[in-house]
Amino acid sequence: MKFGIFYEISVPRPWSAEREKQVFDNCLEQVQLADELGFDSVWCVEHHFLEEYSHCSAPEIFLTACAMKTKKMRVGHGIVICVPEFNHPIKIAERTATMDIISGGRLEVGTGRSATWNELGGFRANPDETKKTWDEFVRCLPKMWTQERFGYQGRSWSMPVRAIIPKPYQKPHPPMWVAVTSPGTEIDAAERGIGALGITFGTFKEQEEKVKVYHKIIKNCEPVGEFVNDKVSTVNFLFTHEDTEIGNKVGRRLLGTFNFLAAQLSAARELYPTKSYPSAGLLPALREQASNPGDEAGVPEGIAIGDPERVLRACKKWEECGVDRVNFLLNALETVPQEQVLNSLRVFAKYVMPHFKEGGVQAAAAGGGR
Amino acid sequence: MPLSGRMDVEAYAARVAREINGFKTDAWTLPKAQILNLHYEIDNDTISDLVPVTLHPSIPAWAVFHVTHYPESPVGPFSIAEVRIGSRAGVRPRGFVLRAYVDNDKAASELAARWGYPTVVGKVYLRGFHDRVVARVTTSDGKNALEMEMIDREAIAGSDIQYNSSMHLARNREDGKLVVVQLDPTWTFHKVERGKAHIVALDSEAWGAGKLLRADYPISATFATCDVTLTKIRYVCDPTVDAFKGTTAVAA
Repeated sequence: MKFGIFYEISVPRPWSAEREKQVFDNCLEQVQLADELGFDSVWCVEHHFLEEYSHCSAPEIFLTACAMKTKKMRVGHGIVICVPEFNHPIKIAERTATMDIISGGRLEVGTGRSATWNELGGFRANPDETKKTWDEFVRCLPKMWTQERFGYQGRSWSMPVRAIIPKPYQKPHPPMWVAVTSPGTEIDAAERGIGALGITFGTFKEQEEKVKVYHKIIKNCEPVGEFVNDKVSTVNFLFTHEDTEIGNKVGRRLLGTFNFLAAQLSAARELYPTKSYPSAGLLPALREQASNPGDEAGVPEGIAIGDPERVLRACKKWEECGVDRVNFLLNALETVPQEQVLNSLRVFAKYVMPHFKEGGVQAAAAGGGR
Repeated sequence: MPLSGRMDVEAYAARVAREINGFKTDAWTLPKAQILNLHYEIDNDTISDLVPVTLHPSIPAWAVFHVTHYPESPVGPFSIAEVRIGSRAGVRPRGFVLRAYVDNDKAASELAARWGYPTVVGKVYLRGFHDRVVARVTTSDGKNALEMEMIDREAIAGSDIQYNSSMHLARNREDGKLVVVQLDPTWTFHKVERGKAHIVALDSEAWGAGKLLRADYPISATFATCDVTLTKIRYVCDPTVDAFKGTTAVAA
């Protein structure tokens, strides 16, 4: 199993110029250390208008900075929004190809569609349409990356034949993923031969079942890309410390702060009734998580919080569930001081990572790479 | 941390709050209700003044315009129109009721005494047409408090719709103190439609909100036929502190 780090980039009020900069600087310092410690990848979201929760509205810029600060880590969109009001597909193809070149072939392309009214309403996107536009985008992107010239007459967008340049550094193209938050999206991923980027914080049992279904279906997939990416990632929190009490206490604060913050946002389903959003996605899952009493230390099942021994047990359980990579969220609202975040990464690398034979860097892309 | 409400609850209560007769009311089951529900974005600069510190205003700022006709109830048929401000009690989504117009004197009194609902008597009109559903609320002195409609009716499933619990200010008759009462109705849907939301007219002052309430941007509209149960009161909150600190369970 591999380990990555995952960013929402959460900035507490009041939003002074210095505070915004400090949060971004802290994130980049963490990324640099994680690269040195052997974490495999860094991922970041694309979110807009999510006050305090996520100021990561230009992930391609942040990930480019990450690529410049690191030598080995892969850099991943987790995810880029495949809705035309947010991102034109040509721009996605061009930007990702450029990032892949600049990072020396270290890009992973997660795709998705947004699940909040904050964002969908802000861009005046129709919630009924997002699943359809996502599907159209993921079928087009590999062709835009690989064909010398590309033209398209589609449902949500069209273009006459043009050369979309540059082309990605990785051949045939970077690995593709989709964020799995709504029930059934893991099936969408499997049918299209792309990786499942599990953003949902589910229980072991739920996740194990999803992984089984995913692997069964992907065997007979119709790949949208030039190769099949049959990997499953999940997202988790990480705070660990040699002192059990500190590990639990600070970790619970991180978990509570993040969940409280996420709950303040307006899920698309809450405000706009549509079949396109059968669940409210991440936000209610997080509220559920927040109300879970957890174990005797007050830490919910499967969360990588506490002393290294407890974190190791949680990670081993995820490995048994068939998860290929865990991406860790390290902070929320800067509730964990930067020195403690950095120490937590070091403690994880020292005590937990060695127990996973593939816990270090895997420079080649899954199925891709030069 | 997220913004908190900063409503002057004493001043607001003086305008709209009713007395609640303790917290031990029985449930009411109200069959075949018709509900026109509009979600609309409202002014982000004023929303914090429209909810008590108990709650966190929604991001972005939005309100629910909720008009219901109950053809059957223990006090006969009645219609009620509410404006609820989108908010969170801790991590739970809630709508804070500014005021409720009711077209039946007995229903207005019972809803206030049993659940502390901030009722006032007025005219409430709700009617469906083939192209739209229209609701209109008129104050007792003839002012147009609200006119709204759902345009282009389209059938959807009951499972597609989500109503949140509501909360409102009331004064407890037993000790004279202000409380925020949570109301957790249950809904069994028979028929649901959605359409485009359109607010034709809105008088902020008629809802006790001074000049602070402004409908800015339409989100969605639904029209449902359902059975509603107004359940026993489960929780009340202290209107002067955050819900995490000031929530009391009052019924098993």
